[in-house]
Amino acid sequence: KISSAACGYGFTLLSSTTTDITKVWGMGLNKDSQLGFQRSRRDRTKGYEYVLEPSPIPLPLEKPQQTRVLQVSCGRAHSLILTDSEGVFTMGNNSYGQCGRKVVEDETYSESHLIHQLKEFDSRVVQVVCGQDHSLFRTKNGAVYACGWGADGQTGLGHYNITSVPTKLRGDIAGVNIIQISSYGDCCLAVSDEGDIFGWGNSEYLQLASVTETTQVNVPRHLPFKIGKIKEAACGGTGNVALTEEGNVFVWGYGILGKGPNLIETAVPEMIPPSLFGWSDFNPDIRVAHVRCGLSQFAALTNRGELFVWGKNLRGCLGTGRKEDQYFPWRVTVPGEVVDVACGVDHMVSMVKSF
Amino acid sequence: VPVLGIGHGNTLLTDLYNCHLTKAYTVGGLFGKATDDFSDTGKLVEKTTFDHITREKLERILAVIQGTNHKALLMHSNIDMKTQEAYELAVKGLIRPMGKSPPIITAIRCLQFAPPEFQLEIHCLHETQQYLRKVVHEVGLELKSSAVCTQVRRIRDGVFTLDDALLRTQWNLQSIQNAIWDCQLKVRTELEKTLGCQDENLLQKMDVEVAHAADS
Repeated sequence: KISSAACGYGFTLLSSTTTDITKVWGMGLNKDSQLGFQRSRRDRTKGYEYVLEPSPIPLPLEKPQQTRVLQVSCGRAHSLILTDSEGVFTMGNNSYGQCGRKVVEDETYSESHLIHQLKEFDSRVVQVVCGQDHSLFRTKNGAVYACGWGADGQTGLGHYNITSVPTKLRGDIAGVNIIQISSYGDCCLAVSDEGDIFGWGNSEYLQLASVTETTQVNVPRHLPFKIGKIKEAACGGTGNVALTEEGNVFVWGYGILGKGPNLIETAVPEMIPPSLFGWSDFNPDIRVAHVRCGLSQFAALTNRGELFVWGKNLRGCLGTGRKEDQYFPWRVTVPGEVVDVACGVDHMVSMVKSF
Repeated sequence: VPVLGIGHGNTLLTDLYNCHLTKAYTVGGLFGKATDDFSDTGKLVEKTTFDHITREKLERILAVIQGTNHKALLMHSNIDMKTQEAYELAVKGLIRPMGKSPPIITAIRCLQFAPPEFQLEIHCLHETQQYLRKVVHEVGLELKSSAVCTQVRRIRDGVFTLDDALLRTQWNLQSIQNAIWDCQLKVRTELEKTLGCQDENLLQKMDVEVAHAADS
């Protein structure tokens, strides 16, 4: 039973909380070994650069029959795998230290067997998030760590250099209990237990323009939005989305934001009318339960298990049955109740419970 | 609720028809049987068990039906999805096929559930009675059982609801006149909303006609 899925830039990871030996499967691009070493059947010394069907990813676990994989996350060319008792495993490209280990000059990432393990955090890691070339870790104590590329300030560590060891973020989130983090491109968002939202990283597309005019922010800043207590947020390449406690969806940033072709950019969150998610006088109990972001797409899950998507429809990734971009939330017909969805650059994966 | 037009009201009927407003029905069903014409008076084709059916399962199936029909709704309404206009209409829930289209369900929900009986409320466009009975049959199939339709009752036709309807005992001139006056405003607003500012003339004409109908 698959419990977590993540879409990277041209590859996908699926994981289960099983205690069987095989807990993670991967498919897609493997040129940087973001899916680990996939032994070729023709030549056992070589590995596959493209994996065409979900294939097991062997993990160097100490207790493979006890440890469970909780969550997976994928970036441009690296992956993070979160376990319950053995920390975080990273693999793939490490040119910017995004795998949390020292950058080795001229390292060949293709056909590499190297999977790095990260254990040194203040408390247990409960969420891992991959940005394009950086990684974020959220711990049980509410702290956020980062490593990887920092040229847009996406590591939030106060500088624009790369970091190869997960380091704790400070700024406006110092001492704040963060309950959710999100990233996919070069911008990052974090939500606290009090419903506040913080952002750092790229702001070329007005993602953080509500607090600063600079296009890069390298320290977490509180975003003073007056839209209510925020429950969840998701970061895309150029646009962001936030879900409030009341179940309302707000979007800001640049691109196809979901309010028709006329809204292309906004620095201040704008609400998407709930009627677009199926709410009406006839169905007043419908609420959006989760929001997710791909690089230029958005997805929303309602409490009835329905999936709504909008954004750029690269290669049909929105699943609407049409090839055109979608300018406002549109229901995707899925033969079951959608439990979760993962968005990538040009593909999407959803986990569905059949009726 | 059948709607009747008197005298000049007949022309109004055509305009209302062009609005393509939805009608609402309460549909009664019975689990456990399948017949050839989907109703309970038809020839019995199959008998099945239905103990496994719960209200939750039924509602999930209804949600799917509503969703797929929602898509059909937008397909047939011939609106360019890339325009701001399409967005505005979608927000107001006004996207509807304004021409001929196969039957489309705009909303469906379960009113009563007492197995083997159940009652659904269905709002739809361009439907036929047979289509509604077929919906009941299909709901039965999706729940891995079977169902027949026991009752179809129209509770709303566009803007006219059960409350506007006159009882048999009220079929006299005075009540009819009152009913026409009461509905006047509703009809006018709906025509305005849907046919839009296209026809100022039409609306004025309509006012005159309604006044005529009420007086004559």
